[in-house]
Amino acid sequence: MTDINASGHVSLLTVDPKIRKRKSAEARFRFYGLGAVLIAVAALVLLLTSVLGNGLGAFRQTVIRLDLLVDPAIVAPKGTDAAEMAKVTTIAYGRLLNRELAEDLARRNVDLTGIPAKDIEGMLSKEAPAVLRRMVLANPDLVGQTIEFDAYAGGRIDGYLKGRVTMASAQLDSNVTPEQLILADRMQAAGLLGLNWNWSFLTAPDASELRPEVAGLGVAILGSAYMMLIVLVLSLPIGVAASIYLEEFAPKNRLTDLIEVNISNLAAVPSIVFGILGLAIFINFAGLPQSAPIVGGLVLTLMTLPTIIISTRAALKAVPPSIRDAALGVGASKMQSIFHHVLPLAMPGILTGTIIGLAQALGETAPLLLIGMVAFVRDYPAAPPEGFFDPASALPVQVYNWTTRADPAFMERASGAIIVLLVFLIAMNAVAIVLRRRFERRW
Amino acid sequence: MNDMRPVERIVDTDTAKMTARGVQVHYGATHALKDVDVDILDKTVTAFIGPSGCGKSTFLRCLNRMNDTVAIARVGGEIKLDGEDIYDKRVDPVQLRARVGMVFQKPNPFPKSIYDNVAYGPRIHGLAKSKADLDAIVESSLRKAALWNEAKDRLNEPGTGMSGGQQQRLCIARAIATSPEVLLMDEPCSALDPIATAQVEELIDELRSQFSVVIVTHSMQQAARVSQRTAFFHLGHLVEYGETGQIFTNPKDPRTESYITGRIG
Repeated sequence: MTDINASGHVSLLTVDPKIRKRKSAEARFRFYGLGAVLIAVAALVLLLTSVLGNGLGAFRQTVIRLDLLVDPAIVAPKGTDAAEMAKVTTIAYGRLLNRELAEDLARRNVDLTGIPAKDIEGMLSKEAPAVLRRMVLANPDLVGQTIEFDAYAGGRIDGYLKGRVTMASAQLDSNVTPEQLILADRMQAAGLLGLNWNWSFLTAPDASELRPEVAGLGVAILGSAYMMLIVLVLSLPIGVAASIYLEEFAPKNRLTDLIEVNISNLAAVPSIVFGILGLAIFINFAGLPQSAPIVGGLVLTLMTLPTIIISTRAALKAVPPSIRDAALGVGASKMQSIFHHVLPLAMPGILTGTIIGLAQALGETAPLLLIGMVAFVRDYPAAPPEGFFDPASALPVQVYNWTTRADPAFMERASGAIIVLLVFLIAMNAVAIVLRRRFERRW
Repeated sequence: MNDMRPVERIVDTDTAKMTARGVQVHYGATHALKDVDVDILDKTVTAFIGPSGCGKSTFLRCLNRMNDTVAIARVGGEIKLDGEDIYDKRVDPVQLRARVGMVFQKPNPFPKSIYDNVAYGPRIHGLAKSKADLDAIVESSLRKAALWNEAKDRLNEPGTGMSGGQQQRLCIARAIATSPEVLLMDEPCSALDPIATAQVEELIDELRSQFSVVIVTHSMQQAARVSQRTAFFHLGHLVEYGETGQIFTNPKDPRTESYITGRIG
């Protein structure tokens, strides 16, 4: 070789071709790795912008800001007795809203030329009278007063303010006319129409196909919360007890090997299989009600258990044997050495595994479809424990549900629901990190 | 100090605290310990020496049944503590370990405060009636372990934050807090520097007045320095057992002589 000088030594100043080859292989590998990371980050950014772009609109809602006289002649024709007031139907409230809307339009000098009277009434959501009725029945003192009432605008008007509906699409749409959009512009200029922060997206129940503007996540959030409570209360103690037994006490033989293999396999079983299991056992055999958080919670518990058991066993295994020896050496029983020393050291791992399992369960959809949680539920479940047996929905199922509906306004709602779901997941993971930091002890 | 010259020591007593007869240990198919007979005398430091893998640690772990935690280990023969067979079915190893304490090779304090480390044993055995009792036990144990002066102002700090030598003395304090009758030490100084080693050795000599101490060591100098009696193990056999001075100056078995002069091991 040319690099070798007369005395047979290789100069350090010239690079050996073998070394150069190794270095370029390393550079290539780094480049591939960086590329993989960049692709992942780009996908994440794309996902987030798409979800946020579509979904943030759900947190703001178009309202018509009315100065509304709660006319006793309409809402309380026979006095403010609760039973009598309850007899007044939503239709009467609708009449009241239409009249007040016309008056407000006149008072603010909104130009109504070329706009048919029917289109003016169509500006309001069909749900607005019901909202007003609930408000008045809950607070009869309002009767006879003039109140500021933010009535929901119709779904298409809402879409127009958020840029989803245009003049061109309105031409083809039987639910909205171009004249209504012109009116919406004029009302907005007069301060009669605008976007409000939409708390009801988080608190209201689901709404029918025709009223996307009032559909909310209230029942779904409650249902998901109930299920998570059930999953946590059942799977943490069962999972930890099973792991401790398997890891520390169980004899090592064929039976425990078999159980171990099965637990690992269960973690990989498709979730819809758990749904079928839940349907067969909890609903058909045990006779628990359909669509109820208790059944959803039980199914998700079955799904979460393998995750918790596997992570707990890994955490127990990671505790150094010297700690067990130390405890046994001073005369602690096996039980004491586990509960006083091993378990506290394994706690961060156990909690992390549990919260990851819970987060997985929170986002699980397929098994819930099978046990009837996909039903349209407008009534809030009661407070626990009775509420566990009431029909409810769940966040991921609500997302699925809304994406299957025809009205594009539901697409926005679905993206909004995904944002809520992601916020919950991030919050849970943050809790996991905080707990791990707090419980972590060094040895 | 000439480390290889054993100091003349008087063995205080001839009563055997523990007696082992025909002890066999199998790890699965491996025959780790073959037919070992040893008498551990009361208030004496007994050293086990021998090359790696000769079975000295295995035998030590038989004395407080720590081998029970190894699933594949089988122990045969007879080991008695004060004339009672410790492998009798009626014996609870937990009770045994309260009387036969152990200090391990690597310092292994609990990830708790210094106080809790020492107080753990007395707590689980119910040795202290009150907080004041417990405080007294912790203080006297730390004093016996020559750690009190360094630890008294930081009792609530984690034991794992101490230096290696301090940690090992903390482990000794933890072991003697339950007032054992026999203290087993498995190479207690192998992870320590010479200064910490000297402290621990000094400590072992002081502890002799209260317990019998059994120490496994790789260092023949250490065995010569701290022990009154020495047992030499080789390939699972107990080759020779006797007064430390006799073993080091006048070994009867050629294998012992080869080992202590550095020809095998």
